[in-house]
Formats: sequence, structure tokens, C-alpha cells
Amino acid sequence: MKFLDEYRDGEIARSLARRIRETATRRWVMMEVCGGQTHTIVKQGLDELLGDAVEMIHGPGCPVCVTPLEQIDKALAIAALPNVIFTSFGDMLRVPGSECDLLQVRARGGEVRIVYSPLDALELAIKNPDKEVVFFAVGFETTAPANAMAVWRARELGVSNFSVLVSHVTVPPAMTALLSDPTNRVQAFLAAGHVCTIMGWQEYEPIAAQYQVPIVVTGFEPLDILEGVWMAVQQLESGRHEVENQYVRAVTRAGTVPARHIVEQVFELVNRKWRGLGEIPASGLGLRQEFAAYDAELKFDVGVIQVDEPAECQAGAVLRGQLKPNQCPAFGTLCTPERPLGAPMVSSEGACAAYYNYGRYRIAQTVES
Amino acid sequence: MCLGIPGKITEIHADRGLPMGTVDFGGVRRDVCLAYVADEVKVGDYAIVHVGFAISLVDEEEARRTFEALREMSQLEELEWMRESAEQGLGGLPASTS
Repeated sequence: MKFLDEYRDGEIARSLARRIRETATRRWVMMEVCGGQTHTIVKQGLDELLGDAVEMIHGPGCPVCVTPLEQIDKALAIAALPNVIFTSFGDMLRVPGSECDLLQVRARGGEVRIVYSPLDALELAIKNPDKEVVFFAVGFETTAPANAMAVWRARELGVSNFSVLVSHVTVPPAMTALLSDPTNRVQAFLAAGHVCTIMGWQEYEPIAAQYQVPIVVTGFEPLDILEGVWMAVQQLESGRHEVENQYVRAVTRAGTVPARHIVEQVFELVNRKWRGLGEIPASGLGLRQEFAAYDAELKFDVGVIQVDEPAECQAGAVLRGQLKPNQCPAFGTLCTPERPLGAPMVSSEGACAAYYNYGRYRIAQTVES
Repeated sequence: MCLGIPGKITEIHADRGLPMGTVDFGGVRRDVCLAYVADEVKVGDYAIVHVGFAISLVDEEEARRTFEALREMSQLEELEWMRESAEQGLGGLPASTS
């Protein structure tokens, strides 16, 4: 709770938290989907502030974290090829594959570059016609329209030395997979605000109805999250299960229609493996057949890559809320942000890394000692 | 990764048919694709920009507040990636402007 003292709207936050605690007649279990929200919750100690009213489970909404090991290994194999410029968002460079990461490939002479936008990678391809430029297309629905546009533009401009290694995932199938699991504990969701900026929230309505869970579209700032929790607790207490929108400043029910449209034109639904969760049917996006020429997996023969995640990693249990990050035996010992074993320790938006970075490591040690 | 950064649209142009604009992110400027907000956008507007694409228009106060919140949350990593792109001469503006 000391963290909130440094927050400029601390007083409003505390009063919202008080209202949540007074309203809750029991301890509700809620999942925030977005890694940005996880970061906020742990940094500001919101989970501690909510005390006995709400248990927060930190969901799988960090694209860096859930990119499966074999896609990372494929990226490493392609990046090491001669004549290839491998481009990526900055946060994928130190994600460990089975043997190394992209930074190490770069140190060994591979041409690996950080770009801000997939359109920058396309521009790089236009400027280097004698090289193959590959972009690592990861992310949720927020990022998919950008990557779809880069592929669309490559075809429009006739750029043939550009391709994408796709590892896109979408949120609703992961929510459904978690809710269908017999061990599920989640009673309400805070949906990711920025994902819904693009997608709106129509897709969530059947999930709320079928599984009878409140879903509140929520922003990523401390007050957003507390307000989202407050709305969800009110629904739970009154037995409602609707989709509500806390993040009215940026999200509408229909989302950003032109962005959704280009995603549908370039990508199709595919089964996708999630690091820590395994394969989830129709949970990913892959290039449609007519864009196969831009598929790096088809363009470069890297062989069949199949790898198992380290057995010590309890990421699946953490993502299902069966284990808090600092209850994992490997947490802070075998597994640290510098040498992560698995998904949620990889990125600052992962639950394990957030616990580690914001002092929950010390708390775990104190408890043990 | 999914958090966009708000910026001010200071100029609008087209790049081979694609609606583009220059956006100022607290002093860091670069080209941004406006295709997804093309019907409603004008110079002087504020937009949430994610990996080079304006995904939603917001008012000035919301833009300022969000930018500050991102700074407080240490969630402005996309600005670092912008610098990396600018240093390679990508993103429509020379590195010296960032």
C-alpha cells in the first residue's frame, strides 16, 4: 500500500477501494487480462489494497510472454540466416528460446534490428532490395491491424523481399479456455481496454452470457482498474453477468471498424499454442492463403521445430490462478527476469516479472525465512 | 506491448495512397499511419498511437493525462523503439528530430 502514497490520485483510489471492500460480502476472484494492467496492479499494490474483497489473478495478456517457444526458435533460426535482416519490436529481443535469444544471435553476427512499427520494417525492405527483411509479427488484437497493414502494403507496392513470422493471438478464446477448465476459479474479468479500442466488446457478450461471468472493459491506470473492479463487484453482488465498459474514453462497442476490416482481409483464425497454456483452438491469427508469399515460415526452410517448455516452470498454474508467482519453487532462484524459465517472467508485463520487479520477491523470502 | 502512446497530429499527408501524418509524442516526432481514423482526423487532433498506427482519437486532456500515466507506470518503451527506428533512418523523419 505504500506504493499508492506516491500516486497523485491516491486519495480517490483509496476511497474507491474502501467502497469495494464495503460492498463485497465475500471474497471474489477476478482476472485482469492485460499485462499492462498486471503491471499497474502489482506496481501500485492494488491487489493488497483490495484486501479480503477481491483476489486478483493475473491473466495471459502479455504477447511477449505467451509467444510459444517454437516460434521464438524459428525466429532465432531465421535471424541467423545470411542475407536476412530480422526486425522486431524491442521487447522480443531478450525472450529466451531453447538455446539463446535474438540479442545473442545479433552478437554472433546475425542482423537483428529493433523497429517501432511494422511499416518501418517494410521501409527497410524497400531500402535494401538485395536483402530479405523479416518482421516478427507478434501481439494481440491491438497490434494485428498494424501487422496486417504492413503485409497488405507489401503486396500493394510489390515488395517481394519482405515477410512476416506470425505469432498472433486473440483474447476471447483464451478467456473461454480458462473458463472451460475444470479447475477454473475466475468469477469475473477485466477485459483489456486497448484491445477493445480495436475490437469493441461484441465478442465478449456471448462469453459473459454462456459462462455467467461479468466482463468489464477496463483501462490500465490505477483508477481505471479500481473502477473496473468496482463495476465487476457490483455485478457479482447483484447476480448480473453483463459486458460493461469502464474505458469509455477510448472504447466503443463496435471498436475501430477499418482496423478490424484489414485484419479480416489479411489474417484467418488458426489454432495457436500459448506459452504456459498449451494449444488453444482458433486462438491465433495466421496469414490467409493469398498472402502466403509473405509468410516467413514458408519462405525460409528452418525445418520442423518442436520443443517442450522447462518442466520446472509453473506458468500454467500461475496463469490459471492456482499459484501466485512467488509460490513457485523456481521463482527468484532458478527463474529471474535475467534468466527466465518461462512466459510470465519474460516481459515486464508478465505476472512473475512484475512480482519480482516490485518487491514481492522480498516478501516471499521474508515469509520463508 | 498493447498500450499505445498519445500524441498530437501536427501534419497530414499521403504516402503512395496511404493516409499518414506527423505526430508529436511529448517532443519526439515521427510519421504515423492514419488509415484507421482517416474519416475523422484533422491537424491538431490527439490520437492514441500504437506501433505506428493511430487507433483512436482522444481529447487533449485525456492525451496529456494518459501520457503522464504511462510515464509514471514506466510504460513508454515504444518511445525507445521510435528512437531505434529513427537511428536507422526509418519512420519518415531524420534521427536528428527525435
